[in-house]
Amino acid sequence: MQPYQEEYIANLREIAALAARKKTEGYTFESYQTELAKNRNRIAGKVERNMELLRAGLFPLLDHLPESGEEELQELQEFAGRLFQVGEELDVGLFCQIHQALLNCARLKKDQAGMIRELYWLGIGRNNRCSKLVGLDYSVVENYVFEMRLCFTEAGAYLKYFDEIEDSETRGYILRARANTALGQYASASGKIQRVRQTLQILQDRYYQEKEPGLPWERYIFMAHRQMASSISYSRENVMTAEDVEAVMESVYIVYQANMQEAAKRGERPPIHSAFNYYAISYYCGLDTMDGLLSKTEHLMDTTEISDFTSENMYGLISLPAFYLQYLKQFPERIPGRAEYIENLYRRILDYVEVFPDAPENEMLFLYLRQLANNYVETANSIPYGAFLLKLIMRFAPDIYIQSYIVAKAAAVFCDILMAEEPEFFDDIEQIREVQDLEEKRHEVRKYAMACGLLHDAGKINFINLYTQTGRQWFEEEYEMTRLHTIVGESCLRECASTCRYAAAALGHHSWYDGSRGYPAVYERLECRERQMVDVISLIDWLENVTDAQCLYTGVKMTFDAAVKTAVSLEGRRFSPLLTARLRDGQIVAQLEKAFAEGRREACRQLYEEDFLFNHPAK
Amino acid sequence: MENRESRENIDRFMEEQRKRIEELEQEKAALKEALIAAEEANKAKSRFLSNMSHDIRTPMNAIMGMTSIGLSHIDEKARVHDCLGKIQTAASHLMSLVNDVLDMSRIDSDRLTLNEEPFSLADLIHDISVIVRPQAAQKNQGLKIEIGRIEEENIIGDPLHLRQVLVNIIGNAVKYTQDGGEISVQFAQRYAKADPPEEKGAEDVAAAQETAGSMEARMVWLDFCCKDNGIGMSPEFLQKIFIPFERVHSEATSKIEGTGLGMSIVKNLVERMNGEILVESEEGAGSCFTVHLPMATAPQETTALHLPTGAAVLIAENRKERAGQMARYLREAGLVSVHQEKGAQAVTWLTQAQYEGHMPCAMLLGEELSDMQPLHLASHVRQLAGREFPILLVSEADWVQLEYRATRAGVNGFVPCPLFKSRLLGTLAELLGGMGSDDNSVKQELDYSDRRILLVEDIELNQEIAVELLSVTGVQVEVADDGAQAVKKFSDAPEGYYDLIFMDIHMPVMDGYEATRQIRSMERADAAAVWIVAMTADAFVEDVRQAKEAGMNEHISKPVEPGRLQEILYRQFSG
Repeated sequence: MQPYQEEYIANLREIAALAARKKTEGYTFESYQTELAKNRNRIAGKVERNMELLRAGLFPLLDHLPESGEEELQELQEFAGRLFQVGEELDVGLFCQIHQALLNCARLKKDQAGMIRELYWLGIGRNNRCSKLVGLDYSVVENYVFEMRLCFTEAGAYLKYFDEIEDSETRGYILRARANTALGQYASASGKIQRVRQTLQILQDRYYQEKEPGLPWERYIFMAHRQMASSISYSRENVMTAEDVEAVMESVYIVYQANMQEAAKRGERPPIHSAFNYYAISYYCGLDTMDGLLSKTEHLMDTTEISDFTSENMYGLISLPAFYLQYLKQFPERIPGRAEYIENLYRRILDYVEVFPDAPENEMLFLYLRQLANNYVETANSIPYGAFLLKLIMRFAPDIYIQSYIVAKAAAVFCDILMAEEPEFFDDIEQIREVQDLEEKRHEVRKYAMACGLLHDAGKINFINLYTQTGRQWFEEEYEMTRLHTIVGESCLRECASTCRYAAAALGHHSWYDGSRGYPAVYERLECRERQMVDVISLIDWLENVTDAQCLYTGVKMTFDAAVKTAVSLEGRRFSPLLTARLRDGQIVAQLEKAFAEGRREACRQLYEEDFLFNHPAK
Repeated sequence: MENRESRENIDRFMEEQRKRIEELEQEKAALKEALIAAEEANKAKSRFLSNMSHDIRTPMNAIMGMTSIGLSHIDEKARVHDCLGKIQTAASHLMSLVNDVLDMSRIDSDRLTLNEEPFSLADLIHDISVIVRPQAAQKNQGLKIEIGRIEEENIIGDPLHLRQVLVNIIGNAVKYTQDGGEISVQFAQRYAKADPPEEKGAEDVAAAQETAGSMEARMVWLDFCCKDNGIGMSPEFLQKIFIPFERVHSEATSKIEGTGLGMSIVKNLVERMNGEILVESEEGAGSCFTVHLPMATAPQETTALHLPTGAAVLIAENRKERAGQMARYLREAGLVSVHQEKGAQAVTWLTQAQYEGHMPCAMLLGEELSDMQPLHLASHVRQLAGREFPILLVSEADWVQLEYRATRAGVNGFVPCPLFKSRLLGTLAELLGGMGSDDNSVKQELDYSDRRILLVEDIELNQEIAVELLSVTGVQVEVADDGAQAVKKFSDAPEGYYDLIFMDIHMPVMDGYEATRQIRSMERADAAAVWIVAMTADAFVEDVRQAKEAGMNEHISKPVEPGRLQEILYRQFSG
């Protein structure tokens, strides 16, 4: 690799370490806060340096890629490979950019082997994007799925010329691409199962095997069976046909047997993942009851260890509970009898993620957490869903927590000012309107603003890597993807009784007041009863973003005064004129600026105490 | 003498008096009639005023109410915007009321004259579609506008009033159909000779062709049908539907605005155009309006389209009817269509076409694919096929709304629906530009009369179908009833005699695998080279492999799609 490529990767690792929650060991709160500020500056420096490296080293190369030598292309591929590899996601955005450029170059040169290879890797990168959209409706994610699937489809189409393409590496890519066309969500479970079934037919066909005996056929077939077995997770919401159940059952059994034998050889306990699939398919085949499946799943979850950070244990501790909770959501009458179990489950999970080493680089951990966050079930004594989400954000994205807290604090202050002038300002919101006593009403509004502020960015939990570890400015497609945090946030929050009141703020805080711009399109301001609060969060969040939060990734940075002036100039378009009118008052602006500063300090204090309490529970 | 004179005088006087009385009686009757007429006119005026005052007041109330709400929220731009939108709707409704009244008045006083001018039916239907689609979309209704056989796109008539008639009928269907209902509109033409509903019209309109200065004009009947599953009409109301100010009165229609003049105007206009309008309806089930209008044809545009005859065009569209229509137009222009319903299939086919060096000259992208959004396919195909490859979007959507996203995705042409042949081929020709018929590098003849095919098929009906499908290209087809006959025919023929063999698999005497093996094992130069295509319903991977192992080059599944057959011929003979 080129020195600039090595340096870029080293910087990424450093940024990930700096962005992780800082340990309090050896720090007073003041020195802790100073250290956090230093870290932020270091991150900013690294990001700037990375931009220089890309501008000076990579981008000129991508511009002239067709004229580059073989060695340069080789280095570029190696560089891309280091950016995203199994279990480690350093910079998938750049990985995709490089492979897209290599693909264009291969197309230009009519280099078929190059095209097939690059289509495959681009598909892999895009599949990673799809995995961030767990829990969203198919209609929202389908665009991302298509982009990924088309890459694999095109590469897989060369299967017809398997005979003519003699290079065995390319043949391997063709087969893997063909198999990967089944990745990601499908509109129906049957569609996915049928696709994997076709893949299995091809892989098991002796014709191909004999043509290229050197390929790891057994592994390919096993992977396809695993893919088929995992189809079970897509099928829970859909009714599987008898044919589908049979196909999945066969694959589950094969994977289960192979894993059992492998584990027995190594003297390890039976693998949780395939055991669960085995139990689940038994239920779908009518061989077990739902209670039976739930009990067996509990048993599997109970075998996990809080100090074991292997992927199998992580699956059992985080992902399996997500499936377990999903079943309970389908059969809510079974929740009361399991309430205590669920409450303990959440506590264990939070304890586990708290001590998880090198968490930021572990893509699988985040995938499992996304699954869990999307299937949360609240019980009377369980940690409330909002608090659970905030704990995760504090643990993995402390900066997002600080930003959310600042927005919450400043929004509460601003709402208080509005209420003092117009006590009925938020009366469109039923719960507020019902409160008669003025003081009590102001208190309710402050509380509501605080919660909306804290949770308005809950959807960022799906894109933690993008927000905390991107070592450069975002590419357009990344920026576009981060916009989905509004929909993700809304879809998470609306599911639980304790958080559904805050869903509107999550959905609408990037929408323009006049509806002419902003996102997402599904937010219709005039239809939203909470719109006055959404307007407040929207304004305060924007002020926070342009003065601090996202400047690293968007390149926009303003002083507080300039931001206020810009907000006023956007009156009636981006922001509610009822709110910007108040920004013309210097005193109110000063109050807000103070709230921003105090909010930061208080959020840091909370982070400090959270870590301190965890590490010193006796105190 | 005196007596006689005086009697004569009396008689004359009496006669005069009788005449006078008669005259007075007549005057009295005339006055009575005039009185009745005046009273009727007065009643009509009162009824008209009563109806109009209600109908005018409704939108006026909305305008005034919304203006006042807007004024009280002047700082809230979004609220004001919302109010202005509603004011605009009410104002345009008010305008249409006034227009209806003026039209009715012109018709009543015989002051309405119809124009006779050449116009494009495609433009007219497109305009209608643009007007009515948003109304239907607002009510979440499924509005299908379909084009049947169109003989002449350029016709002579009064486009403005014709549009008024058709928009009125479709607009009523939208109005009187519940949210989420279905409305189906069909247009078709037939030549006037073929059983016109009323012969009288054809002669009158024939005169119009001279007005338009066309010597070659012929008569066509425009058949229009609008069917909905809305609230329908009772038999009693059906009798009065064309009487001015009559409207369906029920709970369901109490909020529907209208003067009750629309259908009366429509009937008058259709009759003045020498056409007829028919209505069928069932209360609660829906209505069906049919209009037949005789029209003179205008001279067709003579600009020749430069299309690469014989070249393939990929159609990516899930809707079978739409894809069929595109294929038919392409075929009529001498192009070969290849149809794919799924985006993934289209990408696979294009990838393979590129590998084999027989890329189509363009892709027609429909508005529905069974596995993905069409624009995603466009975006990928743009990368796969390069910058120059023409991608045409064929869609009912409003291009203005779509343009930014579509062009960004790589679409470089748009053909609106309902789909007209002239528009499709015109846009295609325009995009292909340099690929016109003068360009020898791409000119392909669909005429394969110098090529010979051996069709091996045991079932007579299948033989007939395949021969029929193949014969449109002029290719010479010889048939063998089983594998043994095929082997014999091949060995008896001189080398290079057959260019292609379509081989069925399951046949008596000798199956297709064995026949292929025997052909391949013959000691002659064309035995290894002749392209053999398996034609069978067995489509599993194993079957494809078995066919390949037997020596066949490719595999197509039965029932055979015409496009697929033509694609193979194109690839083998032209590609």
